Amino acid sequence: MFLSLFHDAAPPARIEPAIAPRAETPATLLRDRAVAADEVLIVWSAAGDRLAFDQLALRHLPRLYRLAHRITHDAAAAEDVAQEAMLRAWQAASRFDPARASFGTWLHRIAANLAIDRARQAGRTAAAPGEDLAAPGPDPEQQAARRQQRTLVTAALAEMPARQRAALALFYDQEMEGAQAAALLSISTRALEGLLRRARRFLGQRLLGGE
Amino acid sequence: MTITRFARLLDTFGADLRRWPAEEAAKARHLLAGSDEAQALLRRAALLDAALRDSRASPDTAALERMRAHVAQHVARRPLPHPPGRLLWLRPLLPFGGGALAALALCGIWLIFAAPFAGDDTFNAPRQIAMIESTD
Repeated sequence: MFLSLFHDAAPPARIEPAIAPRAETPATLLRDRAVAADEVLIVWSAAGDRLAFDQLALRHLPRLYRLAHRITHDAAAAEDVAQEAMLRAWQAASRFDPARASFGTWLHRIAANLAIDRARQAGRTAAAPGEDLAAPGPDPEQQAARRQQRTLVTAALAEMPARQRAALALFYDQEMEGAQAAALLSISTRALEGLLRRARRFLGQRLLGGE
Repeated sequence: MTITRFARLLDTFGADLRRWPAEEAAKARHLLAGSDEAQALLRRAALLDAALRDSRASPDTAALERMRAHVAQHVARRPLPHPPGRLLWLRPLLPFGGGALAALALCGIWLIFAAPFAGDDTFNAPRQIAMIESTD
């Protein structure tokens, strides 16, 4: 009898999601998002496929974070910028034009501009040295030397204008072609080379001394 | 290629000659084959490249998950991306500022053709003063 009480009890109320899931068509269910190209995923996203957009986030968030961190020198700001860049890409997904730029370039342009604005707003001149960096090697002396070098690099980068940091991030960290990085920053290739040259000379003076 | 030119290109493109313009890289290799000074400059640039590489920050797994979840949550709440719409062809004209000009033209036309203000003597100044005085 005791058990029958449980059997007779009404099933617990189902918690409904805040937004009703979209009724997916068989074609949507058959999509292989993991292997689809970025340009295909963004077209699907523009049609409302949130899973396709999640795949794009999975692919691009690490690179966006690295780019934003190099420019802002702040882990929390880098997270904010990477997230905001993805959300802006969602809002503008239907306006993406693959004839003008690849999805990666388009997204990095959004993130770089956000990060430069953020760095300028913060007026950041000092950063926590060596934050969020990869684990150093096992030798204590090597560890200390690398820590010291990172501190120097971080301090020198923090003194640079945000656009020079952005140029370094795009050309060296993201390994973009010069023309691509220049287009992304809306400057000429020659201007990008100028930014790179000034940034490297400054870093060289700080790290290695000399001219 | 002169040493000065080589140093300038090193300052721009770094020590990895594969990232240089092909023609300049070929000339640089030729210079490196016979110049100790050029080799020293290359070693110095390689040190700088290594320092830059070593100072790159990468998000840890927790941070990545946090960012992905944040994006997914906001995307779930936000409306679908804006459709391009029928007026998409007008987008190249946006910097033209046509809206502001049209508003200005409308204001001008209204000022020209609007009837002059007909004063309402019901609430003219002397009457208002009289009303204020009568309340004292």
